[in-house]
Amino acid sequence: MKVRMVLLAAGVCVLAAAPLLLSDGLVNAAISMLIAALFACAYNLLCGQAGMLSFGHSAYFGVGAFATIHAMNAVDGAGLLPTPLMPLAGALGGLLFGFAAGWFSTQRTGAYFAMITLAIAELLHAIAPQLKGVFGGEAGISSMRMPAWGWDFGSTTEVYYLTLAWVLASLAGLYLLTRTPLGRLALGIRENSHRLRFLGYEVHRVSVLIFALSGMFSGIAGSLQVLSNESANYVMFDTSLSAAVVLNTYIGGVHAFLGPALGAALVTFFGYAVSDLTQSWLLYQGVLFVLVIMFMPTGLAGLLDLACGSARRYGARAVAPAAGLYVLAGGAYAAALVFLTELLQRLFSQDYRSLAQAAGAGHWPPVRMFGHDWTPLGTWTWVAPAALIVAGWLCWRAATAVVRRLQEAAPAVPAGAAGMASPGRTA
Amino acid sequence: MSAAILSLADVHKSFGPVEIIRGVSLTVGANERHAVIGPNGAGKSTLFHLISGQLRPSAGGIFLAGEPIAGHSPQAVNRLGLARSFQITNIFPRLSVFENIRLAVMRSHGLQYCFWQWVDRNRRVREQSEALLESVRLGHRAGAVAGELSYSEQRSLEIAMTLASDPRIILLDEPMAGMSREETQYTTALIREVTQGRALLIVEHDMEVVFSLSERVSVLVYGRIIASGTPGEIRGNAQVREAYLGEEATA
Repeated sequence: MKVRMVLLAAGVCVLAAAPLLLSDGLVNAAISMLIAALFACAYNLLCGQAGMLSFGHSAYFGVGAFATIHAMNAVDGAGLLPTPLMPLAGALGGLLFGFAAGWFSTQRTGAYFAMITLAIAELLHAIAPQLKGVFGGEAGISSMRMPAWGWDFGSTTEVYYLTLAWVLASLAGLYLLTRTPLGRLALGIRENSHRLRFLGYEVHRVSVLIFALSGMFSGIAGSLQVLSNESANYVMFDTSLSAAVVLNTYIGGVHAFLGPALGAALVTFFGYAVSDLTQSWLLYQGVLFVLVIMFMPTGLAGLLDLACGSARRYGARAVAPAAGLYVLAGGAYAAALVFLTELLQRLFSQDYRSLAQAAGAGHWPPVRMFGHDWTPLGTWTWVAPAALIVAGWLCWRAATAVVRRLQEAAPAVPAGAAGMASPGRTA
Repeated sequence: MSAAILSLADVHKSFGPVEIIRGVSLTVGANERHAVIGPNGAGKSTLFHLISGQLRPSAGGIFLAGEPIAGHSPQAVNRLGLARSFQITNIFPRLSVFENIRLAVMRSHGLQYCFWQWVDRNRRVREQSEALLESVRLGHRAGAVAGELSYSEQRSLEIAMTLASDPRIILLDEPMAGMSREETQYTTALIREVTQGRALLIVEHDMEVVFSLSERVSVLVYGRIIASGTPGEIRGNAQVREAYLGEEATA
């Protein structure tokens, strides 16, 4: 527990110091990461803790965003609230809309619940461009951050600190919620809502309340996005945002409280860093999601948990070689995947086809990639990825052998038994 | 006989054209241990579903301490003082044993929409949960994951969850199903102990348990109660022997 508190304090310090160390562009990326992290944690209250898989969570993000933009533009642009308190408007919007939508969708469970949430988000997405007064049509609505409390909110740094304060406060609120009776009931709903009924609980009312609270924190995330962008557009209701939050949450891991935040921050960062370098970013994101779901359903947080658990059981020194080899293997496979994807993407591009046509039949002009020219029929072009794959495979085998030796030397407790029993866990 | 805590008056239940319960009248006195026996398919579980609010009767009345409860939701019936267990273990499998009990206990403390206090700091809930776990001898397993308990431990946990709301009557649906001989004896003693001061309605196939545990026995055959009386009377009843207890089959 003490280790956790120290890690937490260190994390907060790093976040607080970030604007001093980073360029303006990176601070902007950090704002997006924080917002995505909050959104994913708000979503996980519903999805991971209460077991209700919503496919339309962009709706509450968007409603929070539009509630904020209207609050900013109210009173002739002076704003309904001082700028630092604007997310309250988003919270209220998300909460109220969450109550309304939650009342309908939690009448059903499972796939039907998911379909209703999807339908509600699609409804908003379809109707928003038509309602010009409320959602500003295709162009959206823009606004200005007003100075308040001695800050003018003109610099990215000030926006960053405002976002950081709200995200940390919201995450703390979400965490504390898991320690309350309502938070514990959320787990009961996920595990067995039928039994809860026979214990005397009004399951529907509890579900609506949890849904609305998830909507409220999503609304705060939407609100922070508006404060950062100074505009809101109906595109916020798009399915891609609903999908992104599901992917981020699962990549991070639904069973650890900060798992979704981790996933969302990482994916957002890679999106920022990589989307300028490659056109295949969405493919990589999709591959990552599929791999996580297939091979580590507990997500990145589960992977960290596994690593820490092994380190405790066998000693960090004994585990380190295996961990290093696994990282090498993963790196080699990833490099091979990236190499092949980028090569094929270039070979099949429109540009390359016209180049090839110009060069004449039987001539394959080289492709420029990673600072080298690669001829499509050249030996190295294909030996390089093949070598990476073989290297990855060898590293993986070596790592597995190390793990097997460790397990034979000290038989482990059955997997999963140790971690899940501790009462301190949130899920 | 003491005042009735639960009474059924000519209860019917049909699923489409199929009539499962065909006019059941039954009375359970306060503090009475009452068993319902009958061959497979007689409608025992359906009867429990009707009483506990899972199903709505097609006709007839069900009264809990004089109050009509037919057609009430399960949660409403529970809050009026009736709790039940299930034939197939029905717990929160991936939560700890303590968490299972605490969820059951919290309800009677009116904490269901509560998000302004820490659940760990609520001493009354914690102490009551611990006492309940002790009463079913699961205190030492509080930290274990419920789904990893042994079968009989899970059944004990179910009984504890049923008792959490301090109900006036509990319904146990085949609590001994699938248990070994020792486990059955242990659970019988446990049930006798924890139902002190409240009524019990139990469905059970193990006749030894039924006759040792209950003060009254009702025999349900094809949706009708064909006999109701003390264990001695039921044992001596020719009709019951014919229909159920393994004498020659009726024509």
